Amino acid sequence: MNWLKQLFSRGRLYNDLSDEIQQHLEEKIEELVAGGMSSEEAAHAARREFGNVTLIKEDCREMLAFTWIEALWQDLGYAARILAKSLGFPAVVVFSLALGIGANTAVFSAMNTVLLRGLPYEHPENLVTIWSTQETDPGSEDLPPIAEVTDWKKENQVFADIAAISASDRAMLTGIGEPGPVRIQSATQNFFDLVGVQPVLGRVFRTEESQEQFQTVVISNAFWKRRFNSDPNVLGKTFRLDGMVSTVVGVMPAGFTGFAPWYSYSSSTEGKSTEVWKPVNPGSARNAKRSDHWFMPVARLKPGVTVAQAQVEMDVIARGMEQAYPKSNKGVGEKVISLRDTLHKSARDTLYPLMGAVGFVLLISCVNVANLMLSRTEGRRKEYSVRASLGASRRRLMQQLLAECGLLTFTGSSLGVLLSFWGTRLMRAITEVPEATDIRVNGSVLLFAAGLSVLAALLFGLAPALRAARPDLNDALREGESRTYSGKQGRTRYLLVISEVALAMVLLVGAGLMINSLLRILLPSPGFDAANLLTMAVNLPGTEVKYVEKIPGKDMARVSPKVTAFHQQLLERVATLPGVELVGMISLIPPMGAGMRTFSILGHPGPSPGDRPEGFFNEVSPSYFRTMKIALKRGRYLEESDTTSAPWAVVISETLANRYFPNEDPIGQQILLRYEPQEVDEDRPRQIVGVVGEVKQIGMGGLHPLLYESFLQQPDVFQGGSEFFQLRGSLVIRTASDVRSHEADIATSVKQFVKEMDPDQPVTDISTMDDVLGKSIKDYKNYVVALGFLAGIAVVLAVIGVYAVLSYFVNQRTREFGIRLALGAQRGDVLVLVAKLGLTLAGTGLAIGVALALGLNRFMAEHLWLFDVKATDPATYAAVGILLACITLFACYVPASRATKVDPMTVLRHE
Amino acid sequence: MKKSEQRDLFPGALEMMILRTLKRQPLHGYALVQNIKRTSNDLLQIEEGSLYPALQRLLKDRLVKAEWGISSTNRRVRIYKLTVAGARHLEREVCSFERMLDGITRVLARGES
Repeated sequence: MNWLKQLFSRGRLYNDLSDEIQQHLEEKIEELVAGGMSSEEAAHAARREFGNVTLIKEDCREMLAFTWIEALWQDLGYAARILAKSLGFPAVVVFSLALGIGANTAVFSAMNTVLLRGLPYEHPENLVTIWSTQETDPGSEDLPPIAEVTDWKKENQVFADIAAISASDRAMLTGIGEPGPVRIQSATQNFFDLVGVQPVLGRVFRTEESQEQFQTVVISNAFWKRRFNSDPNVLGKTFRLDGMVSTVVGVMPAGFTGFAPWYSYSSSTEGKSTEVWKPVNPGSARNAKRSDHWFMPVARLKPGVTVAQAQVEMDVIARGMEQAYPKSNKGVGEKVISLRDTLHKSARDTLYPLMGAVGFVLLISCVNVANLMLSRTEGRRKEYSVRASLGASRRRLMQQLLAECGLLTFTGSSLGVLLSFWGTRLMRAITEVPEATDIRVNGSVLLFAAGLSVLAALLFGLAPALRAARPDLNDALREGESRTYSGKQGRTRYLLVISEVALAMVLLVGAGLMINSLLRILLPSPGFDAANLLTMAVNLPGTEVKYVEKIPGKDMARVSPKVTAFHQQLLERVATLPGVELVGMISLIPPMGAGMRTFSILGHPGPSPGDRPEGFFNEVSPSYFRTMKIALKRGRYLEESDTTSAPWAVVISETLANRYFPNEDPIGQQILLRYEPQEVDEDRPRQIVGVVGEVKQIGMGGLHPLLYESFLQQPDVFQGGSEFFQLRGSLVIRTASDVRSHEADIATSVKQFVKEMDPDQPVTDISTMDDVLGKSIKDYKNYVVALGFLAGIAVVLAVIGVYAVLSYFVNQRTREFGIRLALGAQRGDVLVLVAKLGLTLAGTGLAIGVALALGLNRFMAEHLWLFDVKATDPATYAAVGILLACITLFACYVPASRATKVDPMTVLRHE
Repeated sequence: MKKSEQRDLFPGALEMMILRTLKRQPLHGYALVQNIKRTSNDLLQIEEGSLYPALQRLLKDRLVKAEWGISSTNRRVRIYKLTVAGARHLEREVCSFERMLDGITRVLARGES
């Protein structure tokens, strides 16, 4: 404690010391003067006898233990002062470090949560998923039909058990509180046992509890909290899921979010965690179908069995199935993949490129800072030499420089950590897995950031510090810098700049490919006029007897005429609302999807079973096309006159027309549609009456062959599962003026109309079409923006690097340029001299960058979500190459033009 | 160049002399130097300033204590006093020094004979 007291009272101690020495000298002088010396002589003599006052004071200070702290404090203070003197340099350094460290920390927080954390299941290493592959497409991973899973269970020796889960989907929740969407998943009864997670309350559902109108469900902890306020008496409570009466029998523990082969309706606002698990109805005919693919099998390996052994077994079983069911299983193989790999696939695709990108950015930041530091140390050589010749030790000089580095790094990384709090929010949005909600800055993430900062500081601080520690006193103290420029001095700096440009180029290529993909998705028109369009869904429940009647003994459903009447009446009433110009209806609005149908063309040779023409269909109201302003290419739209009594009509898209009617007029042709899972044709053929323009119906990328049927021309009895499109109705409402000013009024009125017709019926998904389109691509756009932003930073840093090196080069050679100019060189010659260096550096960097990017193209193709663009797309390479070249040229221009403005007289006068 | 007493004397010698001098009477820095010089008949050529680091070390080790006072020439000076610990330390040091000196003397004496 004493030293601490001394530390704080050291100012007084030093003053005492100074006073004392002063008194000593004065006393000495007095005595010498008394002895007969002149006062001037005496002063000299006193000092001579006393020795070096400063040095002795230093020695005295060193006697006190706290000098190192003090030296550090001094160094930091000095560093702060010297950094504050020229704000540009520290600003650039802190900015680039903050970005580098912030971005890395944010991405690491996602990696840490999503990829590095173990799966929260019992012995997760023994869990695998099984996928079907096609001989024709070995990379394919399809969901096997559930009937097959039942066979595997009987035949295999390697799995302790096999469960199956569906994709995570959305259902409409009614019967408790405000109706709203929930995320649901179907699972077999053994799923929970298989992964080894038991409910904290109640039990899991039993298969036999699932019936036509009733089912038992298990709910997630979060859902329990949100909807039931963690009510311990929740068991036995009921609600309706898409109209199905559902009774809660169990609550899962907190943190159990489940997993799914994919996440339909993924939108960041809704969350990705499953909230309700429902059983697979054992009575459903889908269970027996060998053509119905909607479950992901999850299996637990028997103890001691490896994934490879399971694969061998599944190969054998697949061959057996091929023989037993040649129709459905020809060329079908089975692939065993560990659950971990399956679940991490999409997260890896998101995170690996980002991790690579932020790593590059940090590397470039460090290189850049090292470069700037080098130039700075070089520029301060005289200062270091002076300090060294005044007695500063090398260690002290290095310490001084490291203090500067430390101060910069500390400020930079603190800012970086602040940035990463914002960055983790972005990461939560773009990482498409349930665990994404847990992404946050925690202890291990901060530790990572700290480690990274130290690494960064060492990377950029050490080289300059070592250089500063060996100042060449003679050289530096001589007036001015060296007159001739030796290339060797700049070599390190050149290498740094080249690597900066190369790294920036790689990042630019990656971002360029993504931006290219995004543009290919965004630029083409969606096929309709999205302005002033309002949409909302009125999806009638398939479980209400008043709307749908299941036909006993058959997998068929009779849809009541009430359904059509409901929608028709709604359309009529909405059309009369003030502000509404036109209103139409479709089962699923673009780009939300369509139902797949295969078809045969009457009068054409019958297609082979595995190669039937495909189209994606939606039921629409006749007014749909005019409301959406979809272009009519040939024939006519569907009309009100297309009723059940008239010949059934169908409108097709250009893609379908071009694909299946390449050399003939599709108008007037008749097609017979088939619902593929049931392998049954429709009763009546439909005549093609019109061809309409392309619409992005299924996602924002890619065009699909589309079919439009009128909701008025539908059968009474549907094959089980195909009644879905008849029940769904999304309104598209075109307003006369700004849609946002009408949105609330129209929504209220529609809700009122619907309530009058059916009090339990919710109106959902109220949104403008612009928002629907924007949201559908939002996550991808965010991702591209993030990658583009990182590439942008990389370019800015690289340009700063080029600029700094050229500036330094010009400064070093000012004298030489002056002499050259005086001796008759043209200004253009000098310009060429500087530009040549700049171009050589940038060109070399670019070339290395291109080579690096090409080397990484496999990685990019695998992990970047590219649409319609190859990872080696020459146009992208050319575009980003030219962009980077232009920017670096600009960075060359400023120092180069400065070089030409050297005044020979001024320079020579200095000689 | 770093510490002149190390060049001229063996380590600790200056401290020992300071303690010995202070044992006789409390003194301020200047007087202390003059006293040591005089006592050694000016044989010891030490830089006067080198006294101060040694004094700081002794202060830190609490072998001496210092107080501001007025000198005989009416200056405001810091007067150093030996502490009890200092006196004990001096005794030990002198003792071991004498043994060492004895040893050195013997070796040198034999070399001469």
